[in-house]
Amino acid sequence: MSLLEAEHVKAYYRVREGFVKAVDDVSLHLDRGVIMGLAGESGCGKSTLVNTLMLNIRPPLYLIDGRITLDGNLLSKMDKQTLKKKVWGVLVSIVPQSALNALMPTQKIIDLIKDIVHAHTDISDSEIVSMSRRRFEELNLPVEALNMYPHELSGGMRQRAVIAISTLLNPKLLIVDEPTSALDVSTQKQVLKLLVDLRKAKIIESMIFVTHDIAVLRQIADRIAIMYAGKIVESASTDDILYNSKHPYTYGLINAVVTPEPEVRKRGLISIPGEPPNLLKPPSGCRFHPRCPYAMDICRREEPPLVEVGEGWTVACHLVASGRR
Amino acid sequence: MSPIMRFILRRVGFLFLTFIVFMLIIFALPRAIPGNPLSTLLSQLFQQAQANPELIKAVYKRLMDEFGVGKPVHIQFIDFISRTLRGDLGTSIAFYPRKVGEIVAAYLPWSLGLLIPATLTSWIIGNSLGALAGYKRKSAVDNLMLPVFLTLSQTPYYWLAMILLYVFAVNLGVFPIGGAYSSGRIPSLTFEFIADVLSHYILPFLSIVLSAMGGWAIGMRVMVIYELGADYINYADSLGLPDRKLLRYVFKNSMLPQITGLALSFGTILGGSLITELVFNYPGTGYLLFRAISTLDYPLIQGVFILLISTLLLANLIVDFVYAYIDPRIRTGYLGE
Repeated sequence: MSLLEAEHVKAYYRVREGFVKAVDDVSLHLDRGVIMGLAGESGCGKSTLVNTLMLNIRPPLYLIDGRITLDGNLLSKMDKQTLKKKVWGVLVSIVPQSALNALMPTQKIIDLIKDIVHAHTDISDSEIVSMSRRRFEELNLPVEALNMYPHELSGGMRQRAVIAISTLLNPKLLIVDEPTSALDVSTQKQVLKLLVDLRKAKIIESMIFVTHDIAVLRQIADRIAIMYAGKIVESASTDDILYNSKHPYTYGLINAVVTPEPEVRKRGLISIPGEPPNLLKPPSGCRFHPRCPYAMDICRREEPPLVEVGEGWTVACHLVASGRR
Repeated sequence: MSPIMRFILRRVGFLFLTFIVFMLIIFALPRAIPGNPLSTLLSQLFQQAQANPELIKAVYKRLMDEFGVGKPVHIQFIDFISRTLRGDLGTSIAFYPRKVGEIVAAYLPWSLGLLIPATLTSWIIGNSLGALAGYKRKSAVDNLMLPVFLTLSQTPYYWLAMILLYVFAVNLGVFPIGGAYSSGRIPSLTFEFIADVLSHYILPFLSIVLSAMGGWAIGMRVMVIYELGADYINYADSLGLPDRKLLRYVFKNSMLPQITGLALSFGTILGGSLITELVFNYPGTGYLLFRAISTLDYPLIQGVFILLISTLLLANLIVDFVYAYIDPRIRTGYLGE
């Protein structure tokens, strides 16, 4: 049974020249207990998509169309006050891309936690303190950090504190947006371990992990969805994405990453020519066609349908749809 | 030594150094104005004592000694410093033989009584309106208020003072033209006298409040808009924090620079309102300084400046402590070295 179901979601930024179609007709479903990676180049709409999935959107970004259901609740029809009271922080939490600046700077961590918990439940301050201490201990975070100000913590520590705070009320779904991008490799490792521990300890059920770094997803994700220019082009299990990818873009993305496999050493890195399109005026047909080495006539004219090629494996590509790949 | 003690000692030491440099400037500047401060005083004395040239010589010698004008400049400076540090601001030339400290003490309460309430009022009103405009950014309220703030903040305060004076005192005659109270009245704690003082008070008070308000409002508006878009607000919002809590965060962080600004403006108000006091003929320190400069009254000029600078330095010191108290980030910066 799926935890999150998104159908035909469109979320556009309104700008003077028109609409930037950052998320354009995306459907996605996430099962309970699954860690899903969402990968793609910068500016492909990953962050916009995950924020839209929890309706955490502010003008000039608008949800134009689509249905989003989380744990049986129809989020896309809720008003912001209901979302804040009943959903955010309780059912779904996000660890934002800018987690290093995400903590209220002139307040101790524990006071921020108190404010957050009070927003959802009526438990007493002393209970909140002991609950936070228990949680920090459980996650191997230093308990002293609770009585410190954000600027007194190191970058990695701040990142992990944000993750602990986001999951304090045991949300079913945790969305992490590029949590490791700003960190050095050893700190990255700690953060990834923390995220895995969260699921192991049943603090959270499922996770969506946004990154442009496929190598990180290898370590943590069960499934991977690849996003290009506001659309999900391929979605499959991590192994299928890494080793049997069908979409030329996925293939290009994987081959642009350094991996320890001997074949990669042999052929070296291959980069995708060109750059991502302007989402104000996306290309006609398949959005990848101007950069695709296999582009056919139909790719320029028609948008490729999302085709199921295996168990939980969907691809949007004319090559696949016409059986040539 | 505890970090706090070290911090305090360093601040106070730095303050003392700054003070000495200021003293040098205070000492040098009036002496750069051409003219002999004693000549006016002497010519008055001369008329009174025409009959006795010996007396004039004696008086002149005494005055030269008392004011030290004849001595080499560096000796004058050392004298000046050592006397100031002992709390002796010297004798006024223009008000001879009254002491500078005594004269300043008579004028100071009027300035403080006018400026402190006016500054506080403009700070409170300006920040409240600015915060409202920032919170309701791009709404009708903001669109209406912003041009008003901008106009007010760019209006020279003395010009605003003259306009107010012209309209309300000269044309409409609602308020008196100048002074702190009607001439002929004797200061007392009667209802009549207080009402008289208040009616003289309103126009200078308004001119300061209005002209300072725009700047506070603009600053606060920008801070609120900036903080509203800050990452920590978006994060707290995404965890379901109620809007009133978010606003409290925003205001808390937006207020920090404004509090520094307030303390600093307390340091500068005494000198800054010089022209307001001139326009309204208000017997404060600004008015006194103007008279002192026009009569080249070195000791009085120095006395008023020492007062202004001491308040400025003191305000700076207080800002440092207040800021360290309210902002944990600054506290770490100060104590952490």
